[in-house]
Parts: sequence; structure tokens; C-alpha cells
Amino acid sequence: MAKYTLKRFASALVTILFVICVTFLLINSIPGGPWTSDKNPSKATVEALNEKYGLNKPPIVQLGKYLENLAKGDLGVSLKMQKNRPVAEIILEKFPVSAGIGFFALLWSLIAGIFLGSLAALKRGTWADSLIRVVCTVGVSMPSFVIASLLLTAFTGKDGTGGVFPVIFDFSLGFKSYILPCFALGLYSMCYIARQTRASMLDELSKDYIRTARAMGLSSFTVVFSQALKNAVIPVITFMGTDIALVFCGGFVVETVFSVPGLGRYFVQSIQNRDYPVILGTTVFLAAFIILMNFLADVLYKAVDPRIELTKGDR
Amino acid sequence: MNVGEGSKLIEVKDLRVSFFTPEGEIKAVDGISYALDHGEVMGIVGESGAGKSVGAYAIMGLIGAPGRVLGGEILFEGEDVLRFGKKRMRAFRGGEVSMIFQDPKTSLNPVFTVGNQLRAVYRAHNRGFSTAEAYRRVAGMLELAGISDAEKRMKQYPHELSGGLLQRVMIAMALICSPKLLIADEPTNSLDVTVQAQILELIERLRRETGMGVLFITHDLGAVAKLCDTVSVMYAGAIVEQGTVDDIFYAPAHPYTLGLLRSVPDRENNLTRRLATIEGAPADSLRLPAGCPFAPRCESCMSICLLRRPPFVELSEKHGSACWLCVRNRIAGGEEETPHE
Amino acid sequence: MDGRNIKRIKFGSFQPDIGVLLELKPEDFTPVKAETPEERVPGTENGSYRHAVWMRFKKKKAATAAFCVLVLIIIFAFAGPIFVSYGYDEFNSGAENLFPWHYSLEDQAVLDKAMGSTEDRLSAALNKAAAEKGSALSSIESAKIKAESDNPFTDMSKIARENNIHKKPFGYSLGELERKAAGEKVFPHVFGTDKYGRDIMVRVMIGTRVSLLVGIFAALLVLFIGTVYGLISGFSGGGVDMVMMRFVELIYAMPDMLVILLLSTVLKPALINYQSSGEGVLQSLVGLLGPNLIAMFIAFALMYWVTTARIIRGQVLRLRSQEFITAAKALGAGPGRIVRKHLLPNCAGQIIVTACLEIPSAIFLESFLSFLGVGVAAPMTSLGSMTSDALSGIETYGYRLVIPALLLSVIILTFNLIGDGLRDALDPGLKMKGEKL
Repeated sequence: MAKYTLKRFASALVTILFVICVTFLLINSIPGGPWTSDKNPSKATVEALNEKYGLNKPPIVQLGKYLENLAKGDLGVSLKMQKNRPVAEIILEKFPVSAGIGFFALLWSLIAGIFLGSLAALKRGTWADSLIRVVCTVGVSMPSFVIASLLLTAFTGKDGTGGVFPVIFDFSLGFKSYILPCFALGLYSMCYIARQTRASMLDELSKDYIRTARAMGLSSFTVVFSQALKNAVIPVITFMGTDIALVFCGGFVVETVFSVPGLGRYFVQSIQNRDYPVILGTTVFLAAFIILMNFLADVLYKAVDPRIELTKGDR
Repeated sequence: MNVGEGSKLIEVKDLRVSFFTPEGEIKAVDGISYALDHGEVMGIVGESGAGKSVGAYAIMGLIGAPGRVLGGEILFEGEDVLRFGKKRMRAFRGGEVSMIFQDPKTSLNPVFTVGNQLRAVYRAHNRGFSTAEAYRRVAGMLELAGISDAEKRMKQYPHELSGGLLQRVMIAMALICSPKLLIADEPTNSLDVTVQAQILELIERLRRETGMGVLFITHDLGAVAKLCDTVSVMYAGAIVEQGTVDDIFYAPAHPYTLGLLRSVPDRENNLTRRLATIEGAPADSLRLPAGCPFAPRCESCMSICLLRRPPFVELSEKHGSACWLCVRNRIAGGEEETPHE
Repeated sequence: MDGRNIKRIKFGSFQPDIGVLLELKPEDFTPVKAETPEERVPGTENGSYRHAVWMRFKKKKAATAAFCVLVLIIIFAFAGPIFVSYGYDEFNSGAENLFPWHYSLEDQAVLDKAMGSTEDRLSAALNKAAAEKGSALSSIESAKIKAESDNPFTDMSKIARENNIHKKPFGYSLGELERKAAGEKVFPHVFGTDKYGRDIMVRVMIGTRVSLLVGIFAALLVLFIGTVYGLISGFSGGGVDMVMMRFVELIYAMPDMLVILLLSTVLKPALINYQSSGEGVLQSLVGLLGPNLIAMFIAFALMYWVTTARIIRGQVLRLRSQEFITAAKALGAGPGRIVRKHLLPNCAGQIIVTACLEIPSAIFLESFLSFLGVGVAAPMTSLGSMTSDALSGIETYGYRLVIPALLLSVIILTFNLIGDGLRDALDPGLKMKGEKL
């Protein structure tokens, strides 16, 4: 187990490094550099700026410098949106908001998803099963921005502020303003998890060892929640890695729609404004975060299922 | 129904089970009857799909959608199992009747240790035992099943054990609550030949020691000859012949039984003789012909066989067969003519 | 037959009909000469694999219904604009901001009068209050009076109900209504118009076209790359396979949305340069779709082929170890032939299902990106960008968001259902509990 964990961690680090390098080189390959968009500065100005930010050295050297700074926690400064403000500082300010929404979204999607999926599998063929299946099939087909927008339409009062649920995110409103964004963000995941749980639970319940458990006189409750669930949940754990990525990226849209002052919305704005250091820094940060979460999901997977080996094979 | 009345351990009367699939109704078991005494071993033989396992599943109450028990009775020591409520059934399964299955590798939960699973079964039937007691009982059971260093094995996962060991674990699990009847559904199918013999010996030994009855489902006639007292031969959901081991092996009355016996390669006498087979393919349960289900493949097929199902004719006290040949022989004046060799 | 002899037979569990037995005649016992067993039992058909799959698919109601809906949508998107007399980027002056419903001319007049009277009442109330006070009203006081009286705008529906006026479907501008009254045939604005007077239904049709085409082509591109990669990786096996799969794992571990946004940003300036670099076919294609979209295509192709590659590789590995491949090799088949004649046809099912499920991913992605503003370029529109544009006017013009959003979801839903149906049809996995065959 320890060996597995170590190998997976090393793998994660390699991937993060790879992403950093690729991202950096990509950003650097944009023709024209970060200065050409608005004011068309003179050649001398451009050269001076390049000198100041070290942009006139060969890419590999720049990469090296970037990595060196990274190790020190310096992600450069914003060039457009908040002039000269350190990117790292911006990230630290905005990320907790996104993380909060993301976390609650994931939590509710996981709990509701597993519960509904198991319920649907147990009550197979009844109206409860059909209802859950229909809702989840539809839910999986709706992009998060659609849901977010529809919710916005539904709950927007005539005067622009929220009716029952607030549609503009406001810390002072406390818990209430989390409701709509978290719901919209988590809906796709919940539906996916519910479908997956139902399918794998049904699959489980037809397995030979469940038949053995029943044949030996174990109660239905024990069979489902002790014997079957542990196995059925494995594909869901596999999904959690991808899910985290989805939730965070879905966060871009949900934050935009509900005006949440989070990192996702900031990232989108930085793309629209072409604030390269911010783009680079945020990408690196989010990528690293997601890859680490994937790593944790892998470890959890191994803890639950003692059978798997190191390579993912053809799962 | 009084418990304990009657000497039979289990009596199955005219059991009918069908599966309702999108393609139609599959009559998996279409009116079978047999009886077992305490301590008796009955073999149930037939090809795959003949309905052998389904009958056993009905006893255990394991028939689920899209299958349904359509009728008949299953009397276990006088009580009709088909009428059991959920709680009674749970106590029944594993407590009074246990079943072991064909492939031990898939029949044990891969994410729990062996000891854990055995303990779970024990706990399900015996409340109020401490963990230590359950532990000891499990270890004892594993040893009884011929597993040395039981303590070590208890902590291992199923994927770490060989097929033979796993089957012993299954047997231990089945017997941990001392059932009166053991149903073994092709227990040696997926094992190596040498291991097969060991498992069969184990079952025989345990039967002698505990006095339990055994329902042995298989298509291995050799095992039947060694282990069983009585035999039921099934084809396409019906019992075509039933009798003691001697009856079946030395005086087979049904063409199918004869075909089965002939198709066993006879190494001692006939190395040069061609391998005998039964012509044709096993019956398609969705499209059973009118009349006797074996008729299309039968060498002695008569016109009546294609038209009507043959009745079950008693040939002696324990021996019977469902074949028009038997009817013909009787009507022709009581002389027993065996189907043509 | 002799009843006495029959009665001597003891019957076991299967009790026959005595009447039947009494009817038995000697002829019934004549042996039937052995034809083949199949000939004695009529009615065994044999269907090909494809036939069986199609039959199973047809049985799945949801999938077939989805298929029909999809066909309808495709007709709507591709044939629709022929019937609508408005262009998708045509500004219809005088017809701005129409709702998808209207009031008839006569009803309009009534409403105007009622509204007018409401306004008069309001002015009267204000004047009266000012007169009572003796001087001009403060803003607070006049606001109070306004709040208490009927607001002529928001209470339009109330006035309509009072006068028993109902909305009629489709949007028409006043000018168009008058032209209609004069006898001209005017095509209605079924979904209303936007702030420039552009007919929304036509835009929705065009937007659907774009979303569908982008989705399908992106999916096909990804499918092609992934299938080739998976085939090579699975078939080669050994070291080559390991290296190729390590690469796949690397890409798989990268968060796709991030990379795509990044790539789109990075590629866009490069594409703009490329577009202005010449007059060739490719350049104008880039211009037509917009550099954003092309960048999306490229980014999508670079990131999403991995799922397909994995599935195909898995399938190939499973097939490779089967005997018929060994048999083919033993007969002297070269690798090209094996791939073409044996592996591909057996993967075909998986490929189709994967394609069907990749399309919604692509549409999803395109709509996502368009929503964020990095998708198709104006005036070209897609369902995603229409939804995004409609966000700002959401209180009054909710329909502008709901219509494209719902249509988008329906399209994705139909592809999902069809893909699910196909997957089930290809692998029924009929497992009956308790049955062991």
C-alpha cells in the first residue's frame, strides 16, 4: 500500500511538472507578447518592458526562472486586471470562495447521488426507479450553464435581486447565497453518480457472491449495505477524480452566472483580458490542485479495493 | 402441516418455475417431483440448461425476477418452503439448508477477508456470541473442511487462495450452522481433476459425520456413481428418469439416460470404438416442441412422441421414467422391453 | 386400446389424461425414421448479428423516440430556414424586442386606452395630492403615490385580464400587424426578436446547425484519432503499448477544461495571423467559423481522443487473445489483414457507441466555450452563445434564454439516449437471477 501511494504521488508530481512546462511554453509562444493588445506601445517601450520582466531571454531560461520562482511561491504579478498585484496573493484571496462552493457541491452530489442510485437499484422497476432514472438522464444532458441560467431566470425577482433564493452571491447573506450555486454546480455530478451507482449496484446484486450471501441467510439490509455497497461504490470513487475537475471547471460558469467572486470567474476574465501571468498562474495552480485530488482519489480507490495493481490498465 | 411429520427430509411435488423474458416464457422447471430421506444423497444430472440448478434455487427461495415459481410444493420436514415468510426463510437458508455453488472464485466477496465472511454467516444465525467465540468457531470449521493453518487463511482475501481451497472455504461456510441438507450445485466444475476428487471425498466424509442429506447437481456421471444413493435425470425442465444408482446405471429405461451412459468414454474396453454422442443440440427452452422434449434427438422416437408429452411411469418401487416406450411396453402385455440398444 | 392394460400402469407425478391414453392406437407407436433433429422441430430461424442488434434497439422505446426527435431537430435546423423569410443576421427595423406572443390590433387599441386611462388616473392622483399639499410634491411623496396606484406597465397583464384580452401566439411588430391586416402574408416571428430585430427562430435554427455540426465533426475527429491510436497500441502490445498508454495517462491526468481554455487562448492569435496571411481555402474556413472555433476543434482533438483510445485498446486486447485471431495468424494472415478483417468489424459496435456518446461531449464543450465567450464569433451564432447573450436581459426577456438552453439540452439528451440504447442493444447481458446456463 505504501509503495503504491508513493508511486502514485511521484506520478502526480511528474504530471504537474509536465503541465507547468507545457502551459508556460504555450503562453510564451503567443505571438506578439502581452503588450500588443491595447495601447500599441513603441518599440523602445516594449523592449524596456521585456527587459524588466525578463521576457527577452530564450524560453528555456525563462522556464527555469519561472520554476525557480514557483518554488519560492512567486507566481508573478498581474499585468492587466490588477496591475502589479502578485498573482499568488490573488489566488489565495479568491480560491477559498471557489473551494467552498466546490466542496459543498461535491458533498451534496455524492450523498444524494449514492443514496438515490442505491434506492433506484433496490426498487428496480417501480415508479421510484423510473422517476430517478428520468431525472438523472435529463440532468446529465444539461450543461451546468443551462441549469444555472434557468435557475437564474426562475428565481430572479422583478427588480433584479433574488426572490426566494438570492441570485447574486453575497457573503453577508451567509449560507443562503450558497444554495443556488452549489445546487447548479453539483447537479450534473449528482445525476452521473446516481446513474453510475444504480448501474453498479444492479451489477453487484447479480453477482455470484451476493447470491452466496443471500443463500447463507444474510438479511437484505446486510447484503446491500455491507456486502454490495462497498463494491458498488468503487466506480464512483474512480469517477471522483474526474468529478473534481468537472466541478471546478463548471465553477467557471456558475461563478459567472451568479456573480461569485471566486477564482473561476477571475480566470475567465483573465482569459478575456489576456492577462497572461494570471492565466499562467491560475492554470498552474488549478491543474496542480486537480492532479493532487486525483491522486487522493487513487489512494482511496486502492484502500477500498484490494485487488488493483499499479497501472490503471483497461478499467 | 406439523413439523417433523413424515420421514422425508425434503419432498418436492410437481414444482413449476418459469422465466418470463422479453423473448417469451422459458419453462425452466415444468413439473418435477422427488424426495430425499435424511442422510440420503441424490444426484441430479442433465445437460446445461436442463433446469437442474433452478429447482435447487427454488428450494432456497432464490428465484428472482424475471423468474417465478408457478406452482407445486416443497416440503422440508413437512413444512412448505414456498410459503415461508421473509424472516423464516432467512433462518432457513444457511441454517437448515445450505447451498454451495459452482465457481468458488466468484462466489466469495473479493473485498472482505475469508474469516470476515464466514463470521458474517455465523453471526447471521447465532446472536449473542462474542467475537472470540465466533472466531474460534470459524477456525474450527475451516479445519474441519481440511484447511490447515486456518488462522492464516482467515486473514486472507479470496483472490489470494486457489480454487480448491476456496471451495473448501465455501463448504466450511455452508456447514458452519450445521444444516440438515446440503445442496451442491456443480461444485467441482471449475476445479482440476485431482482437486475434484478431494472435494468429493470431503463432502462424503462430512455427510457421514453429520448425517446430513445431500442434493448433488452435476453432469459428471462418474461422481454420481461414487457418491449418490439415488439419481434424477433431467432434460429440458422435466425429470425423465428417476431411480437408485443401480437402477440408472444397470437398467436405464429412458433413451436419454442411455445416451448419457453411452457417451462416457470407455477406456477399458473400447479404445477403437467411435465416441458415442447424442445427435442434435440441447433443447431451446423458448421453442420446445409439442410432445416429448427429447423426441427430436431420440433414436426410438415414435409418432406419439412428437404429439404428446409422455407420462411418468413407475417401473419399480423407486424406479420410474417418463417415456412412451414404457407405456408401450406395459400395454403390450407387461413385458419389460428395454429401449433398443 | 385395452383399458385394462392401461390401468395396470402406475403413473408417477405426471398424471396423463386417461382419455388420451384410451385413444392410443398401435400406429401411434410406429418409429419415426431419423431425419436430422432440426427437421423434426419446425421454426428455428437464424438471424444475423446486425439484425439482432437492430431488433433489440427497436425495442428500446426511449432510444427510438430520441432518434425520431433528433431527426425532427435536424430537419428543423437544416430545412427550416428555407421556410422562414428572415435571414439570421437580418435586422428587421421596427420589429425589435418582440416577445413570442402578441396582441391583435383591436386588442392593442383597447389596451392602449386602458393604459392611457391608468396613466391619466396616476397623473390625476399626483395633481390632486399636489393641490392638497399646496406645493410641489417631494420625490418621496410622489413615489409613494405611484406605488399605491396601478403601474401602467407591470400591470398590463392585469388590465388585459380585466378586459378579457388574451395573448395570441407568435410575435408581430405593429407594422407587420398592419401589413397583415392589409392582406399581405407576413411570416410570424415565432420566437420573437432580439434587440436588433433579428428573428430568433431563424437564429435558433442556425445556432442548432452550428452546434450539431461542430459536435459531430469534433466527435468524428476525436474518434478517428482515438481509434487509430487504440488499435496500434492494443495490437502492438508489449513495450510500445506501455509507452503509448503512459502518454495517454499523462494526458488523461490533465484537467481538460483548463487546457482547452488555455489552448483556445493561445491558438487564437496564431490563427488570426494565419487567417490574414492568405486567400486560400483553409484561410477562409478559419474566417468563416472564427478562430475561436477552430482553436476549440484543435484543442478538443488534442485532449479528448484519450477516452476513445482507451476503449478501443481495451476491446482490441480482449479480442487479441481470442482463438480466432490465433487461427487467422496460423493461416498466414498479415497484421494489416487481421486488423481490417477481424479486429475492426468486432470493434465497430464499440466505435459507434463511443461516437454517439462523444457527440454530446463535443456539443457540451462548444456550448460551454461559447457561453464563456470563447466560442463562435458573431454574427455566426450557436446555442451556447445565444444562451450567454440572453443572460443580461433575463428579467424581461426570459424566453431568449430558455429556448436555446432547452433545445441544447434536448439535443444532448437525444444523443445520450441513442448512445445508451445502442450500447444496450450491442450487449444485452441478459442475466436472470437464479438461472445458470
